[in-house]
Amino acid sequence: MRGEDEAMQMREGARAAMAGKTFDQNFYDLLEIPRNAAHHEIVAAYQRAKEAYSPDSPALYTMFSKEEATELRRLIDEAFMVLGNQTKRREYDNILLAREGRSETERPPAQPAPTPSVSPAPNIPAPANTNAPLPEGFARSRLSVYEIRADMEHEIANQKNFDGPFLRKVRQYKGIHVDQMSKETRISRSYIVAVEAEDFDALPAPVFVRGFIIQIARILALDENRVANSYMTRLNVKES
Amino acid sequence: MKTVANLSDYKSTTRGTGSPSSIILAVGGGKGGVGKSFLSTNIGIFLANMGFNTIIVDCDLGAPNVHTCLGEAPPKLNFHQFLSGRLENFEAAAVATQFAKLRFIAGGNDHQELANITIHDQSRLMSAIYTLNADFTILDLSAGTHTSTLDFFLMADRHLITLTPDPTSIENAYRFMKAAFFRRIKRFERQLGLEALVASIMAEPEKNEIRVPADLLSRILKENPEAGRELEKFMHHLRFELVINQTRSTKDVQLANSVSTVSKKYFGLPAGVLGHLDYDNAVWHALRKRRPLILEFPNSPLYAQILAIARDLASPHLKKAVI
Repeated sequence: MRGEDEAMQMREGARAAMAGKTFDQNFYDLLEIPRNAAHHEIVAAYQRAKEAYSPDSPALYTMFSKEEATELRRLIDEAFMVLGNQTKRREYDNILLAREGRSETERPPAQPAPTPSVSPAPNIPAPANTNAPLPEGFARSRLSVYEIRADMEHEIANQKNFDGPFLRKVRQYKGIHVDQMSKETRISRSYIVAVEAEDFDALPAPVFVRGFIIQIARILALDENRVANSYMTRLNVKES
Repeated sequence: MKTVANLSDYKSTTRGTGSPSSIILAVGGGKGGVGKSFLSTNIGIFLANMGFNTIIVDCDLGAPNVHTCLGEAPPKLNFHQFLSGRLENFEAAAVATQFAKLRFIAGGNDHQELANITIHDQSRLMSAIYTLNADFTILDLSAGTHTSTLDFFLMADRHLITLTPDPTSIENAYRFMKAAFFRRIKRFERQLGLEALVASIMAEPEKNEIRVPADLLSRILKENPEAGRELEKFMHHLRFELVINQTRSTKDVQLANSVSTVSKKYFGLPAGVLGHLDYDNAVWHALRKRRPLILEFPNSPLYAQILAIARDLASPHLKKAVI
């Protein structure tokens, strides 16, 4: 269960992100990892930091006082507790982004905005393949539960031109993450990204791309043949 | 087959005017006996073997011994001839070694006052080093944190720090890094008009919440973003590269990573681990015979470890095959 004070802590961490002080760094800077670090990188960074700041580490000697070292160890544990947990990390990212947006409006975010996550709102049942009844206004895809929006449903029903950005839009609307998609379809993440970005140079031969599109369309509950035909036409035009 | 790349397009931005005519590597470390001369000479040998024209400069003015590490007799030509004006050209003081493409400039052995070099002589020496005609210039520094040592260290393109896993060595390495850090700030604060600001911040470190040097940089950045960013750029050229020497276990090797992590946090500057050298009695035996290790014990595991470090240093400048 996530307590009130924990959420508070995370906000504190986010506040610190702006301060730029060594003892007030955000959790990413603290572990010296980029914002988009993969889970295994976070684990490795945590182990490295644990080792470096362990009480008997010779590397600490004369650099940080005993109290400072204790504080750093506490911060590192805290950072890992948040970043090592997918759900908490996402919340933390949102807080960080919100903070940065507010204090430095003129600067674009340091990295592309994260793909809207699968994180369901607290009152929505998460797993997609259970048969529990859904609250009013929600629907289930093969991988997620999402809130039905009339305008999007209308757009999907009337769409004729299924291009990469539109596939991304539908995927995001249905709250499916690229990684989930990749896991389910066994198409590599980079290909899915390339399909959505219409980066045709990064894609394999058309026959494979067609297979990808069909699989993606199935997950998104779109008419697979219509989507594939539309997308492949675009691809052929661009190629020639 | 020639592996040496075209080095002329390599530009150093570390100094204000012009760029050095060679890539300067400084080997420092604070404490004595941690293998600075051993590392500089061996890196020199490997770089020369790779085909780079290399000059080792013995900047340990008070206690030079690069010649011994290289297995050469103390040469007649050295710093002193240049400083006293008997040699016009500093490069003429570079004497050949038994290794092709490797030369070295010895520190004076007999001159009393050479260790206490004047500011004027020091800047002459630095500009002479700056214009040495070679691919790589390796500066073997002295122990301690004397300002001249720090200046030699800071003029380099790559900043190597040697340390051993002993607490004394780690302590001195940190001290050395800290001294270099503040020396560098001092060097640029006047240029950027930050003198008053730095002085006022450092007058009350407690009140200004300056707990580690990294805080000073972020504080300056906050107070004066424009000059602060410039300063940050200059400071980021100061990237410490650690070589941990005399390691006896994997724990010792990991220690280098810990030192790098801690110093990154402390200084707020990038720091990396360049490599490690195992403890090996062969070094001691080779030194006794006054022969370079790679000639005396070519099968020592150190051979591969030094080669790895030298390759790492040379890799940005090696011509790569394009497939």
